[in-house]
Amino acid sequence: MKKSKQFFMVPYFLWIALFVVAPLLLILYQSFTDGQGHFTVRNYLTYGSSSVYLKMSLNSLWYAFLITVITLLVSYPAAYILSRLKHQQLWLLLIILPTWINLLLKAYAFIGLFSRAGAVNHFLMFIGIGPKQILFSDFSFLLVASYIEIPFMILPIYNAIVQLDPALPNASRDLGASPWQTFRLVTFPLTLSGVKAGVQAVFIPSLSLFMLTRLIGGNRVITLGTAIEEHFLTTMNWGMGSTIGVILIVMMFVIMMLTNDRKKKRREVLDDEKTTL
Amino acid sequence: MTKPIIELKGITKQYDDGFVALSKINMTIEQGKFYSLLGPSGSGKTTILRIIAGFTNATEGQVLFSGQQINQLPPNQRKVNTVFQNYALFPHLDVFDNVAFGLTLQKRPKQEVKKRVLDALKLVQLPGYANREISELSGGQQQRVAIARAIVNEPEVLLLDEPLSALDMKLRQDMQYELRELQQRLGITFIFVTHDQEEALAMSDEIFVMDNGKVLQSGTPVDIYDEPINHFVANFIGESNILPGKMLADYQVEFVGKSFECADGGMRVNEAVEVVLRPEDLDITTADQGKLVVKVDTQLFRGDHFEIIGLDADGNEWLIHSTNPVRDGKEIGLTFEPEDIHVMRFGEKEADFDARLEQYEED
Amino acid sequence: MKKPRFSSLYLIFVFIILYTPIFYLIFYSFNAGGNMNHFTGFTWEHYQTLFSDQRILVIVLDTLLIALLSSLVATIVGTFGALGIAGHKKAATRSTLLTLNNVLMVSPDVIIGASFLILFTSLGIGLGFGSVLVSHIAFSIPIVVLMVLPKVNELDPALLNAAQDLGASKAQTFWRVIIPYITPGILSGFFMAFTYSLDDFAVTFFVTGNGFTTLSVEIYSRARQGISLEINALSAVMFIFALLLVVGYYFVNQYSRSRRQRQKRHAQAEVTLR
Repeated sequence: MKKSKQFFMVPYFLWIALFVVAPLLLILYQSFTDGQGHFTVRNYLTYGSSSVYLKMSLNSLWYAFLITVITLLVSYPAAYILSRLKHQQLWLLLIILPTWINLLLKAYAFIGLFSRAGAVNHFLMFIGIGPKQILFSDFSFLLVASYIEIPFMILPIYNAIVQLDPALPNASRDLGASPWQTFRLVTFPLTLSGVKAGVQAVFIPSLSLFMLTRLIGGNRVITLGTAIEEHFLTTMNWGMGSTIGVILIVMMFVIMMLTNDRKKKRREVLDDEKTTL
Repeated sequence: MTKPIIELKGITKQYDDGFVALSKINMTIEQGKFYSLLGPSGSGKTTILRIIAGFTNATEGQVLFSGQQINQLPPNQRKVNTVFQNYALFPHLDVFDNVAFGLTLQKRPKQEVKKRVLDALKLVQLPGYANREISELSGGQQQRVAIARAIVNEPEVLLLDEPLSALDMKLRQDMQYELRELQQRLGITFIFVTHDQEEALAMSDEIFVMDNGKVLQSGTPVDIYDEPINHFVANFIGESNILPGKMLADYQVEFVGKSFECADGGMRVNEAVEVVLRPEDLDITTADQGKLVVKVDTQLFRGDHFEIIGLDADGNEWLIHSTNPVRDGKEIGLTFEPEDIHVMRFGEKEADFDARLEQYEED
Repeated sequence: MKKPRFSSLYLIFVFIILYTPIFYLIFYSFNAGGNMNHFTGFTWEHYQTLFSDQRILVIVLDTLLIALLSSLVATIVGTFGALGIAGHKKAATRSTLLTLNNVLMVSPDVIIGASFLILFTSLGIGLGFGSVLVSHIAFSIPIVVLMVLPKVNELDPALLNAAQDLGASKAQTFWRVIIPYITPGILSGFFMAFTYSLDDFAVTFFVTGNGFTTLSVEIYSRARQGISLEINALSAVMFIFALLLVVGYYFVNQYSRSRRQRQKRHAQAEVTLR
């Protein structure tokens, strides 16, 4: 049986080797090559010494940060209210449903909404502000990116809130805390794991939303993702593209290290050890 | 009489789906006593606790605290603290911060907080545990932290929601002694919710027996054990033999086809009643000397006594506790005193029951 | 009681934001005016164009085929993967495997796309249907693993012992105890993989050649050229399709939940009987 079990595992291990490990190594290797396939560190030197690349990276981080903050501010209250409703499964489904609509279609909808003669400008004219150039601006990029990421922030926070033992906020109230103090001292710290999961789920993809920068940002916003896409598919400079890719991967690990619950990790390891004993 | 600290007047709790968790509960809680709310799960005892703590509102009725109505007062402004069923300790805070939670909210000086927290930990026998994480504590230790966290705020009433149910038997018994001692030392009111009749009998000054959202009987443990008001209470508190009977006259009751002298009265002639005989009140004698004769069916050794089940001629089961074993299949006689017979009327209200007992059981 | 009213207003506001773009698209798909600004009259015209557009129909079929095939393969591989991870005795190995599993979950799409492009090129695999399918399988596997693994971990070892004790062979235990128990996880995994595949744009964009296109890529290139109400019609159709999928998923979930509840009730009944 042991052997047959291993046999069924072969495709999975093959997948890990071929599609997890190999691509990472390849992109790392590619980042150290020039156009002719020779080994070089020039890509990294270029990246490090070029104000364009550095500024673009910082910009990308800044936008991802803004998108994360906006979605968090919208999502936490929404998740909290959601956790108090009846028929939660149904409401949750309504939150999930938009994520099942193709991202490109949603972006396309905003092209219509934000266009010069679109619905939003109609509204602005109606309230007397007059039409504005919304599409192809940083603002529209932030708005659409946040819109797309909201469900991915709501869901983990909602899960964390639902998992919170209702006796804990009660205990806090019982010990004399006002509703706001209870939220600040008990509910929020104990649902922080959900917030961190949400930040992970939003921040990292926000670094690489190249289709939105093209469709909505009108190339005014350049993220790391846009740069990679351009180097790979337009200028065909795979070496430089991979270098930016490696930078993005490094950023990703930093984010994950910052948002990983170290305490919880330790406990999980402890639990694992208990079960194996 | 000490003055009442909490009064519930006509409390009814109905949920949105129509389920009535409590109906017209009246309860008077006096200062400095140990109360138990005893009943099976779903009887409404925890709901009463939640209404007193302020986690849920009564649909009807009044909650009074020292004579003041507190129905709308939020939980953080009530002078009661709760020890939760699964302790509800804050996992992100260590022992010290958990216990200090209430005092810190009151913005007490640091020195005072520290002193009172350490004192409280000493009181629950956890000195030196201040800097432990909650996850490092055993169930019993978490229990003690939960108690320390509640009493450090010096509440006038401490509510305990089945606090011992998660502990193993030995620890549970130790904690029963400790809780009782703690209550007497602090001199504050404890309201203790439990479904364990032994726990309630051992610790309480007064017990409220509950079922289906109603208080069936209240009184001291001895009163309730000796004089259960009805079948449910007799069955729920201790073990008992319950038989249908008929009241022939005052102090004369008939069951299993025979007439016996008893200590109850005040009922109609020939009124159908139920009769309770506690297993430890039945004494074993020879078949010819017994008021009743049963044949030994099964017998279990319980450590401090033998639990014997005998069958009488009509096939009724009799539960007998005896310090000595008997032979299986043997016919034995059972004797008991008139006051060992407790007669229960069907559907009698607690007030009528108490009045009747007063009148007929003075001697 | 003012608070709940404010909170429901807020939630309604969030839902309006979430759904406005979608219904905006669908609304204008019936616009005779030909743009998304002024609704001049009702028409089915754009749907007629859509359904007579050979190119789009082929692309839709290709997209569905890719989604179906990739999620099927990913479900099989991922289920065995989850069983394998859970079966490892050493906690360290398990957590290493899980970390490797999650790499593709947390990687940005661009990285996956770019690195797969390098992989296919270095292996000499041509870009097209094959490379897209393989890529979709690859990024779907970890989702399936993550959906199945909790169910596998939930599996009480006593159940397996009980099955063997009652005379089931290892294979019988596997098919009659393990698989039925983890089926809800497998189904969720399949659904998730399916939607991930349907929804993917970035990875496909990198690894698809000139000859082959999925719906997302097609919408992207058309959207870059401006507004065409045929896309609106398409989005309405896809919304209904997504709605059906969600409802299907909901019922699968409800079914397994109600079954679980029934099992729980049985267990409780037994306890009270004792």
